[in-house]
Amino acid sequence: MIARRRLLTATAALATVPLSRPHAQRKTTLRWWYHFDDPKASPADLVRDFEAANPDIKIEAENIPWGGGADYDTRLYTSLIAGNGPDAAMVKLQNLPRLLEMEALAPLDNWLDAWSGRADISDDFWRLHRAADGKRYYLPLQYVVLYLYVRQDWLAKAGLPMPQDFAGFLAAGKAMTGADRWGFGLRGGAGGHDFWGSFVLGGGAEMKKGGLNSEAGRAANRWFIDLHRTQHITPPSAPTDGFAQVINNMKAGRTAMTIHHVGSANDMQAALGDAITAVPVPRGPQGKGWTSFGDGSSAVFAASKNKEAAFKWISWLSTGENNAAFNKLSGQLPVTSSALKTWTVQPKRFIDASAASMPLANVLPSLPQTGDFTRTVWPQTTQKALLGEITPDAMMETFEKLFFA
Amino acid sequence: MREAATPYALLGPALAATALLVLFPAAQTVWTSFHQLILFRPKSQPFVGLDNYVWALGDPVFWQSLTRSLLWVVASVGLQFTLGFITALLLHRRFAWRGIARALVVVPWALPSVIIGLIWTWMLDFNLGLINTLGVRLGLLDAPVAFMSQPGTALAAVILAVVWQGFPFFAVTLLAGLQGIPAELYEAASIDGAGPLSRFVHVTLPGLAGVIATALLLRMIWVANSLDLILVMTGGGPGTATQTLPLHAFLTAWSGGDFGHGSALAVLLSLLLLGVVVAYVARSKPA
Repeated sequence: MIARRRLLTATAALATVPLSRPHAQRKTTLRWWYHFDDPKASPADLVRDFEAANPDIKIEAENIPWGGGADYDTRLYTSLIAGNGPDAAMVKLQNLPRLLEMEALAPLDNWLDAWSGRADISDDFWRLHRAADGKRYYLPLQYVVLYLYVRQDWLAKAGLPMPQDFAGFLAAGKAMTGADRWGFGLRGGAGGHDFWGSFVLGGGAEMKKGGLNSEAGRAANRWFIDLHRTQHITPPSAPTDGFAQVINNMKAGRTAMTIHHVGSANDMQAALGDAITAVPVPRGPQGKGWTSFGDGSSAVFAASKNKEAAFKWISWLSTGENNAAFNKLSGQLPVTSSALKTWTVQPKRFIDASAASMPLANVLPSLPQTGDFTRTVWPQTTQKALLGEITPDAMMETFEKLFFA
Repeated sequence: MREAATPYALLGPALAATALLVLFPAAQTVWTSFHQLILFRPKSQPFVGLDNYVWALGDPVFWQSLTRSLLWVVASVGLQFTLGFITALLLHRRFAWRGIARALVVVPWALPSVIIGLIWTWMLDFNLGLINTLGVRLGLLDAPVAFMSQPGTALAAVILAVVWQGFPFFAVTLLAGLQGIPAELYEAASIDGAGPLSRFVHVTLPGLAGVIATALLLRMIWVANSLDLILVMTGGGPGTATQTLPLHAFLTAWSGGDFGHGSALAVLLSLLLLGVVVAYVARSKPA
């Protein structure tokens, strides 16, 4: 009996041996959340290369469903609240105010100041990524700038120049609208706020108190809604068309212009060849222009026990060729100047259109309401206005109330 | 004593699982509905009493969503039942390849809602959809119809999809019920001079009454609760034209991050459905 007890004691003691090994010998495991538009794209090679260079760190890469952004965001918030969040994740600027309000982010300033890769990322990115409290919580990872796709073969046939302002855009849209095709593939479904921004924020509305419901803002919005209601240059399905519809309609030759970014450039090229090109979105009557800067950034979370290792991983992803490899998977553009110089993943004319659009690039304001605006309020309200259930002015009053009441 | 304990022992695991997976989350939802719980403000969750319920009942969107839910349930379940009953009667007859027909009928029921939603979304698509293309080529439509972009047709489209998905449930359930009606009853009715309609009214319907009531109740609760198909096909749009009460609760909580208001909406929906269950149980109690 005594011998059996000794044996059990010895076995129990042996079982604790791995736990009592020196801490330094154990690998740090990082949980990292990501999303790529292409579900087949995998960061396994990047993880392998990083782990080879950093044998003391193991990356657990978790692909999180995007669901138009809403699924990803809500999963991130709930996991952080439940204390089961990742150490680092891909994030977007529109999440920043909410994540800050949750006190969920670790400031990166000290690490960034000491990071050699910082200079390879343009100051434009650092400006856009600085939080309202002056600190930096996000590290740029990828970007896109929305531009206007145009069927240049149809436009040439109509004898019109590339649209540069609203008047030129409307003329081109009317000229290219025919029996079974439409001048402009408007996205009234989820994600269409980027289209609205180009014409309404670019046409006179401002994202400040009284700026949406101003006379200039209302006039710009009336003009935008009239593209569908009175000018009829958009398909009848425009109020609910989402990403898949506007892209497929363009590829199928059902629409002549639409707004997107280099993420779809290779698909467009494959479907339409040289018939399609891209230019910056048109400028409004006051010469102002606005296009959406689509960011993809990395963040380290305050609750992480491995913040330094997490920064090592996210900074590795935003360094030179690693950043290029990452963006070959994401289909977006690298943020490092060195990678961008030799970037040939998409045809040059689409890269050029992206670069030419940078002066117009903007983001919606960093407010807690922005997420609700893009996910729910914008599509519901805009669809009602496009269907004539409410006036365009009532639409702007709703937005003004949401943001600034 | 041992015999008396057996039912409890057998029911125990199921009751424990129900308590853990249903009752506890339900109680937590009720608790949350009395608090302000904004997802991105986790540190501030004040008790607000009935404020969330006052907000819900005072919001016109709640009443619009409730009305639309009633329409959605009545139209969807009514059409599913009708189509399912006809299918069950046909499959009850003897004909060649009946086994294959019975297997094929179950296919829509076996498909995930997300797949069904995507199939119907693209079939009804304005520009590239099969239904518009065929309709125009066959001369049935003058021009393509933007089914998903008009409030009336969008609701009809999601009802069409859910009817296609759900009629096999009624077909299979009622077919099982039909097979349980003794053939002697039909023979006796025929000898007494009853025609096909009379046999249907006086033998088939009474024989299926219990099955019909149970199937209708179950399907009503499932359809009233379901939001997946609407979410995939329209997201509640255009505007809020296809937004039912569970979808309103889901969008408020999940997309809006407002779990306090979302929970109040979910509790109100549960109370409404509980009313249906209580009415059924009361009705089905032996006199």
